[in-house]
Amino acid sequence: MLDVPVAMIFKSIKWRLQLWYGLILVLVLAGFGFTAYQLERGRQMRRIDDELQRRVEVIAAALRPPPPRGPDIEGQPFGAPPPDQSLDEAPPRPSAHPPVIFRLPAQAAGLFGPSDPNNFYFLILRDGKEFAGSTNQPNRTVIQSLRNSLISVNIPSQFPGSKAKPPPPSVIGEYRDLCRPLPSGDIIWVGCSMAPELQELNVTALKLAGIGGIILLLGLAGGWWLAGRALRPIAEISSAATKISAGDLSQRIDVAETESELGRLAAVLNSTFARLETAFAQQRQFTADAAHELRTPVSVMLTQTQTVLSRERAAAEYREAVEVCQRSAQRLRRLIESLLELARLDAGQETLKRLRFNLAGTVGDCAEQLEPIANQHNVKILSELTPVEISGDTERLAQVITNLLANAIQYSQPGGEVRVKLEAQPGFASLAVTDTGRGISSEDRPHVFERFYRGDKSRTTSTGNAGLGLAISKAIVEAHGGTISVSSQPGTGTTFILTLPIV
Amino acid sequence: MRILIVEDEPDLLRSLAQALREEGYAVDTAGNGEDGLFNAESYDYDAIVLDVMLPKLDGWELLKRLRKAKRTPVLMLTARDQPRDRVRGLDTGADDYVVKPFDLPELFARLRALIRRSANQTTNVIEIGVVKIDTAARNVSREDKPVELTAREYSLVEFLARHRGEVVTRTQLYEHLFDENESSLSNLLDVHVSNVRRKLGADFITTRRGHGYCIE
Repeated sequence: MLDVPVAMIFKSIKWRLQLWYGLILVLVLAGFGFTAYQLERGRQMRRIDDELQRRVEVIAAALRPPPPRGPDIEGQPFGAPPPDQSLDEAPPRPSAHPPVIFRLPAQAAGLFGPSDPNNFYFLILRDGKEFAGSTNQPNRTVIQSLRNSLISVNIPSQFPGSKAKPPPPSVIGEYRDLCRPLPSGDIIWVGCSMAPELQELNVTALKLAGIGGIILLLGLAGGWWLAGRALRPIAEISSAATKISAGDLSQRIDVAETESELGRLAAVLNSTFARLETAFAQQRQFTADAAHELRTPVSVMLTQTQTVLSRERAAAEYREAVEVCQRSAQRLRRLIESLLELARLDAGQETLKRLRFNLAGTVGDCAEQLEPIANQHNVKILSELTPVEISGDTERLAQVITNLLANAIQYSQPGGEVRVKLEAQPGFASLAVTDTGRGISSEDRPHVFERFYRGDKSRTTSTGNAGLGLAISKAIVEAHGGTISVSSQPGTGTTFILTLPIV
Repeated sequence: MRILIVEDEPDLLRSLAQALREEGYAVDTAGNGEDGLFNAESYDYDAIVLDVMLPKLDGWELLKRLRKAKRTPVLMLTARDQPRDRVRGLDTGADDYVVKPFDLPELFARLRALIRRSANQTTNVIEIGVVKIDTAARNVSREDKPVELTAREYSLVEFLARHRGEVVTRTQLYEHLFDENESSLSNLLDVHVSNVRRKLGADFITTRRGHGYCIE
């Protein structure tokens, strides 16, 4: 139940496009967001570091031995230490230095203390001991760990006088600290809470995430729309193809953009559909024509038998009826044979027995066989045959030649003549059969090789010709790689020209 | 009843004509469209059986030209069974349409219906006094007793009955009861009329001297 839609999603091009598109969009947005966040964070850190640096300088300046004019700089003790806090009011220590009560200059005092959102604090270490500090230092455990790490790690390597760079600011928890050893051996340690900056960065991160989310949604929606738009021609193609496969061959794809890739595809498909429709129409027409040709002899047989059987008849009447039925049956047989032959030729199943033979001999034989019919019609056959060897199926080609000659005799006026001329041309043999009949009108000429086509639109029942002879001839000649064509002058006669390659 | 068959297939034409003659119709035949049109325009046939595919003039064209002059009932006979062909046939003015191959009894029944409709009758039985004429079974009874009539006599009775109240001329009778091949002797009709009178009653057919015959 569940895997079907999921499988469909992964099979649908639109969904796959959308997935890839979404994935790429997420990566790009995440990259941008991360970079923006890092830049902002860096900017904040630099600002804090600058502030820390400034305060370190101030304290360092305050720690410098006072100018000889007087030790007292107008100042005040920093902060008001609570009674229990003795950190900054450290008792005088045994030291080489005279005990000095450290006071910040007045203008620097405002730099420290809870009045600033960053709550800057400081601590001065002298001889590893706390010498002075602000009251707003973070709680003792943190401070202790800070101080330990500071003393154990940083200081020994950064001993006074060393030319090495001062250690970089370090981050512990939400605090950022900068310590600076002075040439005098004192160590100034200034730190601050980054809480406001961290909060600001969180807000920035949330904003970035929000904006990214909105862009992602917009992008996905746009992508969905674009994918749909790009795939709409495919949907149209598919719907047209579906209708065509359901049997509506007149369907075409509506091609709006003929130049786009899909437009060209649609045009190609449309022309394929058109060819398909024509082929189907021809097939339908052929079937209808075949049925039509079959109907007439069957009608004759039905009418004849029903009439004759309606009462007792004399023997002669029965005999006549049976003869009529036999004629119809013969006609059906010829028609069925022709149809089968055409079907075999169409399917390419008709195997041609290819032999080398002299075409002139075959044409001569055919003409000789038709001599009695020609005499009946009072038509003369005039042959002019050049011997030419070709390779092909003698029997089939004789069938074609006989058909052409019989047509020519049939359509010639009594007293007319049929001219047969065989010539050897470079590469092919050319046979022309010319009659002196009434000719074929220009509107009929293009159709004479079509199946069941007849010039006079009616059955020429006297010959039993269903209009398939020329269609079969054409199929046979084309199976030999040859051509057959017709030219005609209405009123004077018709010429059929047959060419066969000399292989 | 006289019928024209226009059909180019000789065997079919011959057997159809034979079958219809045996049904008691007078039958004329034509083997192509031109002859068919000439015949159809020359006589008042009771019905025409018309093939569509014809040499010289096809069935459609024949029908179109005929309809300019005559309303003769036409039954189209064709191998084309596509609905559009039937529609075209009926729209061109054909009264019925039969597709080949057909059954003879059906063709006969359709012809009878055509002729009946053209005479504005709705049933197959015509009653004239005590005489009943069943045009489907082609028999006649008087006081419910069957009367034996020859085919020609029956045709005479049916034709006069279909034109009841009208005076039917001898020429009309010759045209409808005999086909063009029959050498109709002028007194043959009188023989048939007197035979009918003998079988159905002397006053069944009245003679209008100088005009023709009539069933009152």
